Amino acid sequence: MSVNPLTTFEAAEIGRKVCEGRMTVTQTDIDTFCALMGYDDPAYRADAPGGAIAPSSMGLTYGLRLGWEESVFPPGAIRMGDENIHGVPARPGDELVTDLTVTDRFERKGRRFLTYRMETRNRTGALVCSVAFTAIVP
Amino acid sequence: MTALPHARIAITQPMIDGYARLSGDFNPLHVDPEAAAKTPFGGTIAHGCIPMEPIFQAIQHWLGRPDLPQDTRMSLRYHRPSQPGDTIRLEATAATADGTDGILRVDFACLNQRDETVISGHCTLPAPAA
Repeated sequence: MSVNPLTTFEAAEIGRKVCEGRMTVTQTDIDTFCALMGYDDPAYRADAPGGAIAPSSMGLTYGLRLGWEESVFPPGAIRMGDENIHGVPARPGDELVTDLTVTDRFERKGRRFLTYRMETRNRTGALVCSVAFTAIVP
Repeated sequence: MTALPHARIAITQPMIDGYARLSGDFNPLHVDPEAAAKTPFGGTIAHGCIPMEPIFQAIQHWLGRPDLPQDTRMSLRYHRPSQPGDTIRLEATAATADGTDGILRVDFACLNQRDETVISGHCTLPAPAA
């Protein structure tokens, strides 16, 4: 597996957007997520009054998917902690845009760390989810 | 200070495999039991977001709504991995954050069946609308 060279510890440009991804939320993905995690609230179902919403925690998957698809996260990276913000819920049919940025780079006790931020917004520009996580990188 | 409702999640390999398909994270450490068995973990580990689930479910149950309020902020640290067979439970308390106008702070820990902390952290929930 090759890693995007702009995201290695040495070459990462702090604060510069590394990549952008687009995806459409589907009811099938929501149903799959709910079945996996045990969500059974009617608000997630296709026949929900006013339309279904995705569980808030599903928002964490959008940025991660982009990071893996774009080979941003190096094999062997160990996630240490998160700073997450949850915005408006995603809905089936929403076209989401996720930006991925490396926001920090530091060394501590001989280990090297990178912090990634993935910010997902819907078509109106409203924040759906922001995930910032720090990882020990090889 | 208020204790949040109990919430737990039993981690299974099919759950991890399903999360890999949704998140695109097919790291062998998550989805390849044979390869993972040769690592210091001795087997596969769950994606970090999976043992976080009880936090979401407890807060939402406590608030009586299916999603987190807009501008909920969560800060957490991972202490150890979770593996298939683990059951993760939440211990959490909520209180009005000091010096704020009704912002709620929830302090939480996710523990496995051996009472080891897997994740700890806190989140802040915006003040309920008047």
